[in-house]
Parts: sequence; C-alpha cells; structure tokens
Amino acid sequence: MAGFDKFAERLTRNLARGSSRRSLLAWIGGTVTGAAALPVLPVSRAVASEHGGGGGARASQSTGNIQDPGDPASCDYWRYCAIDGFLCTCCGGTVSSCPPGTEMSPITWIGTCTNPADNRAYIISYNDCCGLSSCGQCMCNRNEGDRPQVRPQSNNDYNWCLGTESAVYNCSTAIIIGVALDS
Amino acid sequence: MLAVATMVAGAGAMAAVGEGKGAQPLPGVSDPRQAHIDYMLKCQGCHRPDGTGSAESAPPLRNMVARFLGVEGGRSFIARVPGVAMTDLDDRRLAQLLNWALYRFDPDHMSPAFQPFTAEEIARLRAQPLRLERIEVRERLLARMEQEQAPGK
Repeated sequence: MAGFDKFAERLTRNLARGSSRRSLLAWIGGTVTGAAALPVLPVSRAVASEHGGGGGARASQSTGNIQDPGDPASCDYWRYCAIDGFLCTCCGGTVSSCPPGTEMSPITWIGTCTNPADNRAYIISYNDCCGLSSCGQCMCNRNEGDRPQVRPQSNNDYNWCLGTESAVYNCSTAIIIGVALDS
Repeated sequence: MLAVATMVAGAGAMAAVGEGKGAQPLPGVSDPRQAHIDYMLKCQGCHRPDGTGSAESAPPLRNMVARFLGVEGGRSFIARVPGVAMTDLDDRRLAQLLNWALYRFDPDHMSPAFQPFTAEEIARLRAQPLRLERIEVRERLLARMEQEQAPGK
C-alpha cells in the first residue's frame, strides 16, 4: 500500500514540477475560445442555415420574371428584407397570396426593399395570413428597418393579424405596393 | 387574393388622384407623390390604403379626419397623436403629409378657409405628443363635434 502511495505522490509531484498553472489556464482558455469560434467559421454557418434562419431541403421556386429575381421560397429573396415570420411560399400560398383556408390581414407591416434587378427601392407590404395555426415552415427573420417596441408602428414583432376574423397567425406574404422615391 | 386585388387597385386609384397632371395643386402639398409614398410607408399599414382604418388599431381617416379641424383643440389633436407626432419624418414632410391626407381622405369636410399645416406649426405641436390620453382626448373631441352639430339639425 505504501508503494502505491509513493507512486501516486511521485506522479503528482512530477506533474506539478513539469507543468505550470498558467499553462493549464492558457490551455483551458484556448479550448473555450476555440469551441466558441468554431460555429463562426463560414463552413459551419453554410451548413447550419441560410440567411435569416430557416433552411432544410426544399425545391427552389422562381417568379419567372427576370425583373423579380431569386427564389421566393428562400429567406434570401429580395422582398423579404424586413420580414419576420413563416414564408407563405412554403405553406401552400405564394409570395402574394395566402394558403387555402386562411384570410389575409388588411392591417400590415410595410417597409422598403431594394430589388437587385434594377437597384430601386420598392415598397413592400408584409400582409400576414391568419386563421390557421402557425405554418412552421421556412421561418425567416431579417428585420431590416425594424424598430424597438417603443415605436409600435415600426415594430414587426407584433401579431399583425388585425382586422381579420381570427387573430391566429399562419404565415407572411411580401407584396409590392409601389416604388419609393430616391432621397 | 381578393384582398390583394383590392389593395393594388386602391393604390392605383390613389396614385391617379394624387399625381394626375390636370389635378389642382393641393394647398400645403408641394410634392403629392412624395406625400403619397410617405403615407404608404408611415400610415397605410394600419390606416389602410383607402383610409378606412380598423376598430382595433387605427381610427378611420376617411370622411372623418377633417371634422377635427372644426372643433376647438382638434387641429392640434391630429398633429399630436402618437402616429403623427412620433413618426420619423422631418417637420416639412410631415406637414405636407397631413395636408395631403386631409384632402385625400376627407375632402367633403374641408373648409375653403383651411390654413395648411406648416413645418413650424408641426414642429411646435409634435414637441408635445399625446400618449395614452389620446383615447380620452379623442372621445372628448367627438362629443364636442356632436354637440356643435346638434343645433344645426
């Protein structure tokens, strides 16, 4: 038993003599930072999700109009620059119409987005579709121009299912209602 | 889909009214197109393209908003409600937007003697925005309207 004791003591003393406490701290610090930095690498991000969240394997869609480029079922589509919600294009609707069984809210969140085809700012109305429970597909949260809740008229975290029969939120559309002036 | 069609048609009709070449210039509105776009960006989401508003979120403008000009305290009320006073437009554009909205949504109640809002007046009024008391103030003004109209009927 005494031999075992001696062996353990020698091992501990050797370890204490051969390594500094600072190097242990440095090693732990490096590991923690490294683990935190790993998901920041672009490779990891590209796998994890697309811009603004969402993702998952999904057939791409097209507007069929070269003046309206991109995939309306992707959160990267230009009209979604200020959206916060599920894309109706993934829920049985389209970018400008509601899925069957839901009602479009007349009260909306409005913003502007730049169309990459002509670099002009278009006024986009994010009419919510209401009356069925949350669609749960293609969550997209980009929020450009969103303001805190102290400015309720410029905050998109509210439920905009107002003026509809039901206040239950299903998904969001992105309808062009005009072209903004340059200023 | 019907809602979309209605919305687009509404926007088109408004554009025609606001931007028609032969139309009379509206007092206090130097750029009706800018006023219309400001309305779309800052107001229309709740007050709707045709100004009818909704009971839950934004009172109607249509056939209503200019009636406030006829009662004492009404003119300052429409410049001090939070949606107007706190919107992020400069005083000049906000004055233009208010003048435009009055003529656009309630021409029948506009008096020929109406003095358009100026940037200076807006700057003064929006410095004292209404907050939660807005509902109470509005109720009081509506009651005053009813009173003043009663003898004439």
